[in-house]
Amino acid sequence: MITVSNLSRRFGANLAVDDVSFRLERGEVVGFLGPNGAGKTTTMRMLTGFLPPSAGAVEIDGLDVLARSLEVRSRIGYLPESVPLYREHRVQEMLLFQGRLRGLSRAESKRRAGAVLERVGLAERARSLIGRLSKGQRQRVGLAVALLPDPAVLILDEPTSGLDPLQRIEVRRLVQELSRERTVLVSSHILPEIEAVCPRVIILHKGRIAADGTQAELLATLGQGALRLEARLEGGADGAEAARAALAELAGVQSVDALGAEDGFERFLVHGTGDLGAAVGALAQARGWRLRLLSGERPTLEQLFARIALDLGPVREEGAA
Amino acid sequence: MKGLGAIYRRELAGLFLSPLAWILLFLVLLYESYFFLLFLGQSGGEVNGALTMLLGGGWPFWYLTFFVPPLLTMRMLSEESRSGLLEFLLTSPVSDAAVVVGKALAATTFLALLWASVPLFGLLVQCLGATPDWGQVGTAWLGASLVSMLLSAVGLVASALTSTPLVAAFLAIVANIALVYLPVLGSALRGSPGSLLGWMLEKVDILAHFQASFLTGALDSAHVVFFLAWTLAALFLSVRLVESRRWLG
Repeated sequence: MITVSNLSRRFGANLAVDDVSFRLERGEVVGFLGPNGAGKTTTMRMLTGFLPPSAGAVEIDGLDVLARSLEVRSRIGYLPESVPLYREHRVQEMLLFQGRLRGLSRAESKRRAGAVLERVGLAERARSLIGRLSKGQRQRVGLAVALLPDPAVLILDEPTSGLDPLQRIEVRRLVQELSRERTVLVSSHILPEIEAVCPRVIILHKGRIAADGTQAELLATLGQGALRLEARLEGGADGAEAARAALAELAGVQSVDALGAEDGFERFLVHGTGDLGAAVGALAQARGWRLRLLSGERPTLEQLFARIALDLGPVREEGAA
Repeated sequence: MKGLGAIYRRELAGLFLSPLAWILLFLVLLYESYFFLLFLGQSGGEVNGALTMLLGGGWPFWYLTFFVPPLLTMRMLSEESRSGLLEFLLTSPVSDAAVVVGKALAATTFLALLWASVPLFGLLVQCLGATPDWGQVGTAWLGASLVSMLLSAVGLVASALTSTPLVAAFLAIVANIALVYLPVLGSALRGSPGSLLGWMLEKVDILAHFQASFLTGALDSAHVVFFLAWTLAALFLSVRLVESRRWLG
């Protein structure tokens, strides 16, 4: 549905987007992640045809974004980060204006306006002045405006910024609902959001694609994770060192980090492969440790994101090694 | 031009929803009635003269055209580029030209309505007994509207050049004054009638074209084309400037 090939965009000396390529199939929901300034908005603007790329091309539904711009634009619903709305107009008027821009009849626009407002939970605010709405409500009006033409492709730039947690959940639910029928590209720098909504994630960093894959694939590159153990030991500080050595000798354990004591409980982080939980549990039983906590820590998207954002090297190669 | 109607309607509604438009309407009415009565008193009841003076026949009209169109158009592209609304319009399935032309037509319509207040004075005078030459007043109104269209297009060029509405207004006011005054200055400076500078200034002489046609009550298509051609040139320039914003980001 969306094919991006070798897309680059330069602003003066600054290369904002650097040789980015990816494909989105019809009906796919993809999260666009990256720290601020990674090139997410620039890439999205190029997808909508608002910014012409310095190099490379974008095709939507098989149509080149620049050469057949008007046809492409009528297939896209785009919500820019700034949520542009005419504040002096009422919600209903803004939606009817969008309908007219898209060449819909008045009756059809009205019908759809009612439907999209229902969908974003603002049916009772149709007559309100946009300027009087709260930030969260305006965000949802923006979403309604983008949805009105019933586009095959939805491009949402930070749709949850400025919303309170409850509204975030609502928008998240809405995006999930929408994703059943549409191709959706949604950007955010808030990880839990992307984790909840998007099966596939593209991480941009400094204008380049740092990672692209399903969440499971990306997390696999971080290794299996670790086991956190907190236990009261016999023998004080010497006991801690002995325990660490015992843990390190268990089958499958690669390394053990001692994290120090807390309330008399020694804390360890055990890295390795295989059934670490059972092995550590058996050891604790044999030594008579009083366990307070024994839990597996799965790698999170947040860790991956942090690695990329902090330039901790290419994750994919490391995962393969 | 797909979407032209939608843009035009939105811009016109936007103008009437802003307090600035109503303030301008009120101030211009005050200004016009003051000069109308002043002229009537000084000329001893010359109704036609007083009416056409407010529609291009006298400086009070031209002073208004320096300031009013820029105040209407200053926000149309500059502020929308800052608020992201331009991004919304330019990613809608409408051409860049439709966006610019729709805005220019909305400003022109507002100004044409503004100038329509002058025939109202005529109507009032007719109720009191004197009959204005409606043909002359009508062509003067048409001319005033055409000039307004040109100056709105110039205002949009200024608005496309900057993202600060006040700077846009200032640029447009300077451009308007230059457009109207330069040929006047030129004709004063012009030595031989056949000089290149004289010929060039003649081609942009708004006042001369206006006075030769619309004030005499004779509608001459050559002069209508003069205003339309310069309007198109200015519109073309602002469309290009809007396009260049895409490249600059």
